[in-house]
Amino acid sequence: MAARIALLKYLRVEARPAQLRNPRLIGGSFSQLFRRQFSDEVRGSFLDKDEVRDRVINVVKNFQKVDPSKVVPNAHFQNDLGLDSLDTVEIVMALEEEFVFEIPDNEADKIHSINLAVDFIASHPQAK
Amino acid sequence: MQRGFYRMRLNCCTDIKFFSSSTPLAPIPLPSPKETHLWYVIPNEVKGESLLNKYMEILPPCEKEHVSSMRGDELRKSALLARTLVRTTIARYQINSSIQPRSLKFRKSIHGKPEVDWQHCDHCEPPPLHFNISHTSSLIACGVTINSPIGIDVEAKQRPVKHNVLTLARRYFTEHELHVLTAIKDPHLQHQEFIKLWTLKEAYVKALGGGFSGAPFKTFTVRFGSAIGESPHLSRNSNTEASEISVDMFDDPSDLTSNWQFMLLELAGSHYAAICTEKDVTSEGNKNGPMKLTVWKTIPFVEDKCVSGTEAVRVLCGFR
Repeated sequence: MAARIALLKYLRVEARPAQLRNPRLIGGSFSQLFRRQFSDEVRGSFLDKDEVRDRVINVVKNFQKVDPSKVVPNAHFQNDLGLDSLDTVEIVMALEEEFVFEIPDNEADKIHSINLAVDFIASHPQAK
Repeated sequence: MQRGFYRMRLNCCTDIKFFSSSTPLAPIPLPSPKETHLWYVIPNEVKGESLLNKYMEILPPCEKEHVSSMRGDELRKSALLARTLVRTTIARYQINSSIQPRSLKFRKSIHGKPEVDWQHCDHCEPPPLHFNISHTSSLIACGVTINSPIGIDVEAKQRPVKHNVLTLARRYFTEHELHVLTAIKDPHLQHQEFIKLWTLKEAYVKALGGGFSGAPFKTFTVRFGSAIGESPHLSRNSNTEASEISVDMFDDPSDLTSNWQFMLLELAGSHYAAICTEKDVTSEGNKNGPMKLTVWKTIPFVEDKCVSGTEAVRVLCGFR
């Protein structure tokens, strides 16, 4: 009951002038929420891509050998971050730990960059 | 095509004039079928803007662009040295007089493995030259063979590994390999043996040419020695059976994996290097004759030093 009230409070839209001046703000966030709930019901539990990107970037930044300032969304593990095959395997393992699902070797082989990692993880419902 | 050839020839002439002011590449004969050549460069020993600029000059525009696109001086230098090493190494074999480091063309096999594209080579039989390159931030190596596919991998002995090596082995290695590693109680030694196994498996995959997914690590076992139950450590005595390295496929132990031979070295006291080539079964005589290895340390256009038989090269395992 308390949860329901809390949820309703969160969802309730306040009709204040400031917010009305920028209706897109409210509308946007509300529709995002709606979309996520809707997609959760229909598609299973795919993670939001932005969230995945943030978490992937975080994992890679925490990798000792990597210079955090070079970790940008389109960073290529080998060319931009100077990682070799063992490093890439370690990153894949760290991603598996972060998202709690196993990435098969033949798929892991294709994950050469942050964007590829994000695309792969965001398209797999097993990722948590 | 004709115009391209003349333009290339012009570039070669310009290059020859340019190179005459530095040490030219010492030409050497191609390796024999039972031989492997290994060339390596240590990035920290390559100094000077003018030398690095010289190296840039031998790269074609697309490779120059690729090198320049790398982020950070160290990465750019490493990429530049890798391309320079490949081009200068292959050019030494003087396939014919028109082959210069800059004129070499490369392509990828259907599986994505880099190989020389000899198409541009006028009036000559493409030589059965194979090469493979491996780099770490501290050492870059290029292996060359004739007739046989080759895969090499180098790793710094002390390279840090983020995960526990047994966790990595459990995830990526086979049961036998995990068993071998688990049996090693000293963590330092265990780390070293993990790195050795990693380089050997990587070299095998690269020799096959299909990439990591072409031969996932879990589908083949690298074994030391031919008898079951021998010491889990690599024997330093190359005269015993235990020094042999073999590989068998998980699913099909009878298959062609007996065609592959391995060598494991310690290079420059600081790196492990694994070399995997196909056994030469075509020539007469002993099918399983020893693979001969010759190693050079190089700073292209500055210095080449044959280091076989010195402290810089210690054969840990495999045929001498």
